[in-house]
Amino acid sequence: MIKIMFSKPKEISSMVGKDGYFNLSGQRLEGIMSKIFGRLRVYKLSITIALFLMLTELAVELVQPLIMAKIIDDGLAHQDTKVVLIWGGLLIVFSLVAFAAGIINTFYSSHVCQNFGYSLRNELYQIIQYFTFSSSNVFASSSLITRLTNDITQLQNTIFMGLRFLLRAPLLIVGGIVMSFLVNVKLALILAVTIPLIVIMFIWVIKIGRKLFQSVQKKLDHVNSVMLENLTAVRLIRAYIRKQFERNRFTQTSEELKNLTQRALRIMETTVPLLLFAMNLCIIAILWIGSGQINTGEAQIGEVVAVINYTLRITSSISVVSMLVMVISRSKSSADRIQEIIDIEEKDTDNPEGNRKSKIKGKINFQHVSFCYPSNRKNTIGNLQFTIQPKERIAILGATGSGKTTLFQLIPRLYEPTEGTILIDDKRIDSYSLNALRKQIGYVPQESMLFTGTIKENIMWGNPNATFEEVVQAAKDAQIHETIMLMPNTYDTRIGQKGVNLSGGQKQRLSIARALVRKPSILLLDDSTSALDLKTEKKLLDAVASYQCTLLLITQKVSTAMKADRVMLIENGEIVSFAPHDQLYKTNKLYQKIVESQLGEGEWENAKGTNRSISLS
Amino acid sequence: MQRELTDPFHYPKPDIKPDATVVKKGKKPKNMGKTLYRLWAYLAQKKGLLILVLVMVALSCALGLLGPYVLGMSIDRFIVNRNLDGFTGMLLFLGCIYFLNSIALFLQSYWMIGISQTTVFQLRANLFHQFHELPISYFDKKQHGELMSRVTNDIENVSSTLNSSVIQIFSSIITLIGTVVVMFILSPLLTVLTLIIVPVMFLGMKWITSRTSVLFKEQQKNLGDLNGFIEESISGQKIIKTFSLEEKMINDMKEKSDKLKNSAYWAQVYSGFIPKLMNMLNNASYAIIVGVGGLLALKSGAVSIGVIVIFVEYSRQFTRPLNDLSNQFNTLLSAIAGAERVFEVLDEEREEEDEKTASVIKETKGEVQFKQVSFSYETDKEILKDINFKVNPGETIALVGPTGAGKTTIIQLITRFYDATTGCILVDGHDITKIKRESLRSHMGFVLQDSYLFEGTIRENIRYGRLNATDKEVEDAAKMANAHGFIEHLPDGYDTILSANGNGISQGQKQLLSISRAILADPSILILDEATSSIDTITEVKIQEALKRLMKGKTSFVVAHRLNTIKHADMILVLDKGMIIEKGSHDELLKTRGFYYELHQNQFSEAAE
Repeated sequence: MIKIMFSKPKEISSMVGKDGYFNLSGQRLEGIMSKIFGRLRVYKLSITIALFLMLTELAVELVQPLIMAKIIDDGLAHQDTKVVLIWGGLLIVFSLVAFAAGIINTFYSSHVCQNFGYSLRNELYQIIQYFTFSSSNVFASSSLITRLTNDITQLQNTIFMGLRFLLRAPLLIVGGIVMSFLVNVKLALILAVTIPLIVIMFIWVIKIGRKLFQSVQKKLDHVNSVMLENLTAVRLIRAYIRKQFERNRFTQTSEELKNLTQRALRIMETTVPLLLFAMNLCIIAILWIGSGQINTGEAQIGEVVAVINYTLRITSSISVVSMLVMVISRSKSSADRIQEIIDIEEKDTDNPEGNRKSKIKGKINFQHVSFCYPSNRKNTIGNLQFTIQPKERIAILGATGSGKTTLFQLIPRLYEPTEGTILIDDKRIDSYSLNALRKQIGYVPQESMLFTGTIKENIMWGNPNATFEEVVQAAKDAQIHETIMLMPNTYDTRIGQKGVNLSGGQKQRLSIARALVRKPSILLLDDSTSALDLKTEKKLLDAVASYQCTLLLITQKVSTAMKADRVMLIENGEIVSFAPHDQLYKTNKLYQKIVESQLGEGEWENAKGTNRSISLS
Repeated sequence: MQRELTDPFHYPKPDIKPDATVVKKGKKPKNMGKTLYRLWAYLAQKKGLLILVLVMVALSCALGLLGPYVLGMSIDRFIVNRNLDGFTGMLLFLGCIYFLNSIALFLQSYWMIGISQTTVFQLRANLFHQFHELPISYFDKKQHGELMSRVTNDIENVSSTLNSSVIQIFSSIITLIGTVVVMFILSPLLTVLTLIIVPVMFLGMKWITSRTSVLFKEQQKNLGDLNGFIEESISGQKIIKTFSLEEKMINDMKEKSDKLKNSAYWAQVYSGFIPKLMNMLNNASYAIIVGVGGLLALKSGAVSIGVIVIFVEYSRQFTRPLNDLSNQFNTLLSAIAGAERVFEVLDEEREEEDEKTASVIKETKGEVQFKQVSFSYETDKEILKDINFKVNPGETIALVGPTGAGKTTIIQLITRFYDATTGCILVDGHDITKIKRESLRSHMGFVLQDSYLFEGTIRENIRYGRLNATDKEVEDAAKMANAHGFIEHLPDGYDTILSANGNGISQGQKQLLSISRAILADPSILILDEATSSIDTITEVKIQEALKRLMKGKTSFVVAHRLNTIKHADMILVLDKGMIIEKGSHDELLKTRGFYYELHQNQFSEAAE
């Protein structure tokens, strides 16, 4: 089972209780089918047409035995050629009509089915995109993928079959019974008793199936996530020679999937033989009673034959219905899973109208800000209080896990502070629309995330409207332009997912270029210069200076910190000190330690006095 | 809610031509037949069960044929002739037939599900296995999600087909043959009349399947693309959010979803024609039987009414399997589309196998030597040029240089993630290309640029370094890496579960776990790739102490940028543009006043500003 790391009691993921399913708010998932399939209302017209056409086909099918009985009883038995020809001709005409109806129905059914899937997928994807950052961690990515593809396909299958068979089979059955009643009441009664029993069985099977397939889908999720992990970490697995270990892991979960699927399918498949037998018994009963009726003159041969005919048709519908039943159960469990996404309560709270126009100057103000991750007990950062002036360059230092990245994530509102307020340009951060806010922030996270595509495309992620000149300028400022020019296709070189063909430093600089092309008012660099040598780093920071933005730079290197206007030292989620480098060095013991460990005791004193110039060929 | 979109008749058609080589009966083009054959090979592994299934299918077919015959006979003999002698016996007989039929149906389906699911399981396992045999370069070129789609969607396609297709096809063929035989015995004339529809059906199927086979492939391809896109966007959520790219992603996905919609639509439409076509042909054949046959009955008494009635029933027995076969054939095409994508991966060239004569090394002293090694990823640009150096056992080597100089590449070569294009690399005097990869790597420990943590407890993640380590050994390794402290502060300590995204612990903490893992592995060669750069200096100092302890007697390759780390290395290799420009200890290199000197001076003149 995938255990979720962030699990506030409220946010605990779908629990399968004994009495059904619960979504994330603990509400019972009732009427899921009507919720999801309610979206079909848009296609009212097409659905009506499709159903009407299906009924037409059905009508032809139902009428057929009658016509044939007529041909036999009125035509053949009475040696009337005319009857045979006329009614035979009618049969052909009707079948052509049914054909046309069937073809047109196909178009409409596919139309509804595919559009439904398309719209639902878009809707879900949109929801996922606008999850709050913490909500996006509730589901494993592999589970989201399955829900967006596999589960939607299950629903589509139901709809398609529904528009072509759903009414057909039950209607055929009902129609068959009705027609039988019209022909011979006593015989028809036999059918009228058996069929409801069968229906009850089907309903029971659907219920069981839903539960069974839920567990199948869950297991499928898990298989997917193991697969994904293996694909992502393939290097590590080879390095540690864990092929066998991973294989065992995969085999185990894959085998569980096999067993669950087998069980589910087998249980569902027992219905057909069972029900078939029931219907066959019906036929025997009809024969028995029918023969008695014929003897007493109550009924004609044709009648008995007709009723048997209808019974046979109903019987062949049984297997279609059981197939439908299977599809419906699967789709119910898929519908549940899709509804879970829709029911996520936490969405980005946005003020779309807020403060869209003004350009942010870049003054950042934290007032008593604290933050605690949903899964942790303690605050990661506590009671942060500081002001940063526009265009200031701030270096942030601190031990690992001290809260630096967390601080960063609050500024573009990836998370909301649990306490306190953040102000930008003296206005509350939530008074800006998210779009406006994030547009003016350039964020370069610690882990470089690039996407499949060309280098140019990757940089343009920062600003889809950038001109090529702007892209090149950003690359130059990020000190990666020359490297790009050395590549086979320069800016059109394709890089793989996660930019695997680039070195760590190259990935970082590309990420920086992506942020720079936005011409941000606030630039957040989270340890983004760690893989750069000092020469490159200096050039980069000089180039950044020309952007006239507030710069916050998380770094471990004191040499970088020295170039900043002020240095913020964070320890255990609190600001220990926030001052220019010189002042900090004089007053703060921790900082002294750090400086000395990096630059070597005494050498710092030495270096202070010298004034060498840098000249490298 | 949106208004209804496109009109059902004018969906854009995917840009493909119908496959003219698909025919219903007769020669199948090489590709399709090959794929089918391969699939069949999987099924055939369970020969015994398969034969049992076939027996059951034959049985249920026979009974299925017998039933209506006995039924018709009952009607004729007892009802029409109003003679009830032995009627009860006949009914009982009929009852038995029905009962056995149901049993046969149950068993065949029960066993078939077992066979098909085992096949699917096998396919998945083979695919998984293959992924671990492919060269790393394969993964650098493909999207994760797209590959995943083959394991899930494509195999799912195959699975849903196998569950029922095999039975359906067999039973259809058997029933068909049996029925035709019986029909012929009953009335050759009516049989011929019924068979008129076959050529028409043949032509219709040809027209339809030439289109669906291509459309199914297109559909699976679009599905794979969509999968790849979605996976990437989900794992890149952070960037998407901070760059406010949600709208862009939504639009991009719409495009891909739209493509899928179109190919799926047309595939579905054409597939949907089949039952309709068959229905019409069925109806036409009934009409012919009753009409023409009836007339004949009247005129020449060539057939009796009873026979016509039975015949109609049998013609349904005839047309039904025919319908089924055509539908199944189409479904098979869909499964083939999926199976082809699976086999595509299975057919990829594997990583060059270790030569059969490749040796296994039990112990390494840790001596590493590069002799005139050059390397390029693609044939264009040379990443490494003529690298030569020798490392003695237990030495620490620092790889230094501007980014992109080739430092990480050297490490990829030592570990044989990639192999050198020219020159050779020796460990303890042995050419590493002649050593089994796994054996070589078993003597190495890694801390790579990406920490790669798995879904599992922290303990399990650390234990990945040495699977049979005890809990205490795990904790000791964590202590040495200074991870123990922060782990204890977590709510569940070592049993804290890490999600696949690894969110909630910082990058630095992830590195510490990664280091603990390497420490636990206790290898003779250590590879540290820019690992220590995301950790604060104080912790780094502590780690360096621990690593010093660990590195005693071990050869270590360190790629880092902080001069302090590098200062204490036994040898520094200075790389620039893929070549070693300087070699030596820190002091030696400073004395030469070359590239390293400048780099070093850089640090201090920077400090002076």
